[in-house]
Amino acid sequence: MDTIDDAIATAEAEWRAYGVHRSDAATLAADLRSELESAAADGITPAQLLGGDVRGLARRLADEAGVRRTPRAYGRVLRTALVGALLGAALGYLVLLAVYPAMVRLVDLPRDVEVPILLAVLLYYGGAAAVVVVVGAVAAVRVHLRDLPGARSTGNAMSLLLPLAGVVVTPITIGFARSTGYSDSGPVVLAEVALVVAAVTGAVVLARRWALRDRDPRAITGTAEPGSPRAVA
Amino acid sequence: MTVTGTADAAGDGDRQTQLLRGVLDMCLLALLAKEPAHGYELVHRFDAAGFQPVGYGTIYPLLTRMRRLGLVADEMQASPSGPARKVYTLTDAGHARLRAWRQQWTHFVGTVDSTLTDSVPDSPRS
Repeated sequence: MDTIDDAIATAEAEWRAYGVHRSDAATLAADLRSELESAAADGITPAQLLGGDVRGLARRLADEAGVRRTPRAYGRVLRTALVGALLGAALGYLVLLAVYPAMVRLVDLPRDVEVPILLAVLLYYGGAAAVVVVVGAVAAVRVHLRDLPGARSTGNAMSLLLPLAGVVVTPITIGFARSTGYSDSGPVVLAEVALVVAAVTGAVVLARRWALRDRDPRAITGTAEPGSPRAVA
Repeated sequence: MTVTGTADAAGDGDRQTQLLRGVLDMCLLALLAKEPAHGYELVHRFDAAGFQPVGYGTIYPLLTRMRRLGLVADEMQASPSGPARKVYTLTDAGHARLRAWRQQWTHFVGTVDSTLTDSVPDSPRS
């Protein structure tokens, strides 16, 4: 921490990790910068003024300023979504086994209608799989994390972004599988699973970020009496 | 002997810290009531008042809380050298709170003093 900018950057990183809203963090940063610049004019460096624990100071400042925090909780949201998706997939698989005969009878295309096998598989199995995976992940986040601020809007964003991720990753995964001759060897299957998990992870993290964007834009305010100097910048 | 002495010194330091923690907000208001100050100037005022060293990392968050509570306000003042400085001053609410805390403290100190005085054993009888 050599410069004022370094100290501010460290504090801002801590406020982000601490879930402080962007506008509140900007206010805190402006205040802190003003203090550091005043001290610098008297020859006092940020390290001399703040000591070594800028992150701890940043947290205390956020607590004392009374800003409301929304924990990002990416790890928690992601774990919950993945477990929900797996449970949804497992449940969907069981349902599919149960209704398979009925579906075969229901979708009885005339013999002269030719449907590409890949499209049929995608629509028949991929569509159902996508629905149960998305529903499982969204339901898990909305229900299991209902006490987490922004869980509902995160679930809403996931219901849009997870299908989009599926649309993107499905042809990639199929293309990869095709390039390996549809190998069922362990490494190939693992790579295919990794592609899907990466897509789900990206969609969930993006959904969480989207849900927290501009959330609770409450400015830090003071309660100074009328006529008295400004309470808080 | 040395170990005991060191342990005693450390214990004294901890006790001082605990005592200071309980009165830091009141003392900060009192120091500001004398004269407005900018943030790190308050650190020097604590030193000059005879307290054990209080870091800026303690003072600044406390000032932030006092501002949130409306007890302290700040305003930018031009400086003859360097950038404008944020100077902190007590609000009317801060003065009122300080008066209340001072009364409370005076009563508390009186109680503690009388308790300590009563606890002094009588001089040994011959």
